[in-house]
Amino acid sequence: MRGRFFIFLLATVIVFNSCRNTSNSSGEFIFPEADSVPVGEAQKLSAEAIADISKNISSPVEIANLLQFLEVPFSPEYLASSVDANKQNTAFDKALALGILGADLGYLNMYEKTGTSIDILSSIRKLAEGLRVGQFFDFETIKRLSLNKSNLDSLLFLSIDSYTQIDNYLRDDNRGQLSSLMIIGVWIEAQYLATQVVKRYPDQMLKDRIGEQKIILNDLILLAIPYCNRDSQYGDLCRVLQKIKEKYRDIRITYTLGEPISVEKDDGLVIEQTETSVVEMTDEQLTGVIDVTKEIRNKLIITN
Amino acid sequence: MKKYFIILILLFTTRAMLTGQATDPLISSCIASAGPNSKYLKDFRVQLGKASEPCELRYKTQMSLWKNTRYRFTMCNSDDSQGKLILRIKDNTNKVVLSSFDQKTGKIYPYVDFICNKSGIYQLSFDFIDGQQGSGVGIVSMVK
Repeated sequence: MRGRFFIFLLATVIVFNSCRNTSNSSGEFIFPEADSVPVGEAQKLSAEAIADISKNISSPVEIANLLQFLEVPFSPEYLASSVDANKQNTAFDKALALGILGADLGYLNMYEKTGTSIDILSSIRKLAEGLRVGQFFDFETIKRLSLNKSNLDSLLFLSIDSYTQIDNYLRDDNRGQLSSLMIIGVWIEAQYLATQVVKRYPDQMLKDRIGEQKIILNDLILLAIPYCNRDSQYGDLCRVLQKIKEKYRDIRITYTLGEPISVEKDDGLVIEQTETSVVEMTDEQLTGVIDVTKEIRNKLIITN
Repeated sequence: MKKYFIILILLFTTRAMLTGQATDPLISSCIASAGPNSKYLKDFRVQLGKASEPCELRYKTQMSLWKNTRYRFTMCNSDDSQGKLILRIKDNTNKVVLSSFDQKTGKIYPYVDFICNKSGIYQLSFDFIDGQQGSGVGIVSMVK
């Protein structure tokens, strides 16, 4: 009897412990248990895993699309106009600036602000050539498409595809650290855009999008971790990413369950997801994210 | 002389038109078929041989999808493709949220609009129907 009771107790403990591991993923998004992935572990990530992580980082085009949906007018104030491509001395500076300007290009493209985009394109060209990846950027075609405003999709395709090719090439060329910097630059600039706009247009959808960045923040940090000990520039970057993560720590993302609804329309199918993600973020937490993003982004573009 | 001049102009015009498109004609035509109200976001070029045995969809990738966004996934096949490209999307709990192939009816949808209400990282799996050999592209765009 005592033996059976012991087996029952053991089984109960095992079942409850195993349930505890899965409950987090279905009910609430939290950062992984450890504050950071150990450097040794991160360095073991396969090239394929890193490529997958880089795909998870949201596109600045999506932020710009949301701003357009919210009828937020374009403003050149948000652009990193102070970045001078000629003054980027190290590969670190160039790659980070390439990412920052890439996000600005996405914003300009979406709003079809062609005059300004030509200046940014020239800077991108210099930076890309400085990193020996200029061959992947079809500047002349992008410039022509920008000027004639006739085909936004081709412009978006060529711009995004150029960055994707640069990203792939840098990884294949054992310069994955530069690819990571470029992606981090894109994210920081898009985050800066969203957080600056939300101050003037405090729309709930935009607040949610900022809060939801918690979902990919850990992946972004994973891209940087293998290089944190490379030199002081990388070390500083890793520290600022941790600082952003700290601001997100108490922002909660919870999920409600539901089954998708499908409707046939024309030749296609329309599926509406009824499951939802809900961001719980106080005004103070949002202000914390806005402030830390501004501080870091401005420091990066001034340093550059 | 005039004839050569016209031919030269035509050649330059054609080149200019071509360079304004994606380098892969299948991608360009697929982007165009996504419709005028959609904005290009990403593409996945899929080329697979015949599967040795029926199995899970073979081409796997992932991307983040964001709440309050209507995404359009358009699947296009090259002319020499044996099978039609299909897509299945699972969320982070491994739950299927979208499939362009209806197993009950056998119908394959050339595009699926997904109204996303749960932000997260999703697993995208592509293959050609019944594990056939094929070449195609999946375009992700945002719909107004």
